[in-house]
Amino acid sequence: MDLVTYWLGSVPEFAVPFALAALGLIIIERAGVLALGAEGMMLVGALAGIGMQLALGLPGLSMLAAMAAASAVSLLFALMVLLLRINQVIAGLALVFFCQGLTGLLGTLLGWTNRPVSGLQAAELWPLSELPVVGGLFRQNPMVFLTVLIFVAVVWFLNRTRTGLKLRAVGENPQAADAAGLPVLRYRLAAILAGSALMGLAGGFIAVLSTKMWIADMTGGRGWIAIALVIFARWSPWRAFAGALLFGSIEALIPQLAAAGVQLPQYFMLMTPYAVTLAVMVWVAASKRAGASQPGALGEPYVREERR
Amino acid sequence: MTELSQPLAKVPRQPLLGRRYTLELRQQMGWSGQALVIGLAVIVGLALSTAILVAAGVPADQLLEEFVGQTLLDAGNFKAVLFQAAPMILVGMAGCLAFRARFWNLGLEGQMIWGGIGAAAVSIFQIGPEALRLPLMMASAIACAMLWTLAPVLLKLRLKVNEVISTLMLNYIAANFLLHLLYGSWKDPRDNFPYSPAFQPFERLPDLFAGYNVAIVIALVIMALAVWFISVSRAGLYLRFVDANPKVASAVGVPVRRMILSTVLLSGALAGVAGFIVSAGQEGRLTQSFYQGYGFSGILIAFLARNNPFAAAVVALLVAMLFVAGRNLQVFYQVPFSMVQLIQAILVICVASSDFFIRHRLRRIQAGEQ
Repeated sequence: MDLVTYWLGSVPEFAVPFALAALGLIIIERAGVLALGAEGMMLVGALAGIGMQLALGLPGLSMLAAMAAASAVSLLFALMVLLLRINQVIAGLALVFFCQGLTGLLGTLLGWTNRPVSGLQAAELWPLSELPVVGGLFRQNPMVFLTVLIFVAVVWFLNRTRTGLKLRAVGENPQAADAAGLPVLRYRLAAILAGSALMGLAGGFIAVLSTKMWIADMTGGRGWIAIALVIFARWSPWRAFAGALLFGSIEALIPQLAAAGVQLPQYFMLMTPYAVTLAVMVWVAASKRAGASQPGALGEPYVREERR
Repeated sequence: MTELSQPLAKVPRQPLLGRRYTLELRQQMGWSGQALVIGLAVIVGLALSTAILVAAGVPADQLLEEFVGQTLLDAGNFKAVLFQAAPMILVGMAGCLAFRARFWNLGLEGQMIWGGIGAAAVSIFQIGPEALRLPLMMASAIACAMLWTLAPVLLKLRLKVNEVISTLMLNYIAANFLLHLLYGSWKDPRDNFPYSPAFQPFERLPDLFAGYNVAIVIALVIMALAVWFISVSRAGLYLRFVDANPKVASAVGVPVRRMILSTVLLSGALAGVAGFIVSAGQEGRLTQSFYQGYGFSGILIAFLARNNPFAAAVVALLVAMLFVAGRNLQVFYQVPFSMVQLIQAILVICVASSDFFIRHRLRRIQAGEQ
């Protein structure tokens, strides 16, 4: 029973990075840009967050720094895919490798590696936090509650506002959007900046509020899992939220089982998130629903041929 | 979509650079022009890398010495470069093959890990007579790596599962399995460190002469086979059809799926050989991190060489120089090895960007022209 209580209580902390990164990906991909760079954006956010936390120790400011740094680096991605029209798979991979190299280098040179920081006090959502078993779900880091608010805001923006509709139009059919007078590249740039900020926030959360230190390559493939999650969620934010909870509960189970003294081969446990991702990808592909709700122009650079 | 159909206020468009120039698609650029653009891109990349290296604390006047002088003129380092070039050439070829089959094989590292595991298993379980041990290790490495590659390529062909994600996930799984072995039953009983027991002398790749290892010869032979496969064989011709247009290829009778399957398996096999060479050549045992960095470098080499095996060998040699210089910088100037990855990424971004200038040009608008 205790195991279940502790496990449920720790699920949100593991789910938040997946949820935020997937939401950022959805914003960018709904605008028609294939964003494979999530892993890199998360690393940049993580390092920037730790840097700010070591300097000032204010978690709110550290989260803002994580978002700003990821947005700044995403300008490089925007330059590659929007202006220079580089193949978006190449650009995304190059971005991840660039960010891995950059953060590894800076983390070591600046001496930020393995330096613990203080995170945030848990906030309680009284009276829900007094409930038996599930009470732990409502005694969380404030960022967890903020994540839910961010989701509500983004879903409202994408589905209920004119600008959100235009953003989706740019991703579905940029030719038509352009003919209707929408600045396609400007919408895509805005989507890249905003989406990358959310991925940076996901990384900052992992480093500053969850692990509470910087280690090179600390995101450990969570950015790639988030990409699989978006395919699984068919580009719908709330389905991505549910998927993030699923992955969060799997990740949260690993330390809980170890603490409970369950004898399982450690490295096979550490494999599970990746194995589950693979299984989910196969399941989605086998059920043949994946392509149906994919943004129409995903991955295609927009070139206006009249400008010859 | 009704909102969008309403006419919006039309804003006059500003052409690029204030009306006097326009961007247009180039029909075709000559070889010399292309070489010039790519050369300029590489120079820009190297300039950026230099700036970063200097900022990281390497004295500017030492750079040429560290990267060129030390790696080519110092005998010890030159041997290290050739030794390092062998696995680089192999992963580069592996990248070229997979990309020619339009398969994003990001699983080179996982395939290398299985190559290493396959080779080490033959050593640990002492399979076969001593004289045959090395060939058996290599065969086992190839078999294990190909089996590991089978899953993502079948999933891609049968179910259209995105191979970028599936191969990357398999890397993480393979890496954890390697750790499981090295912290568990394959731990060296002699000192209890998490690496496998050292290979016997006859299980290690021998030197040809005076410190020049046979690894580079294996790599060059395999490169020659890859060149034959891509440029001469019927399969290579089919592959060009598949690369150009899979649908048309299928219509004219090319066995597209079989071609993709066998080429990607071959790509995995080459990565497996690279794993065998690193473990049986450089390390002399299976270590935790023997594969790290090769996956990215293999893709980078194939990309920079435009999937051409000869060019890939040259780029692989340059990347090997970068690796050796990077290790020296780590020792002498405490520059983290991530620098090597950063430099490679910057070069990829610069060369990828140069493509834009090959495909487009700026044209001045004549007076009176729209």
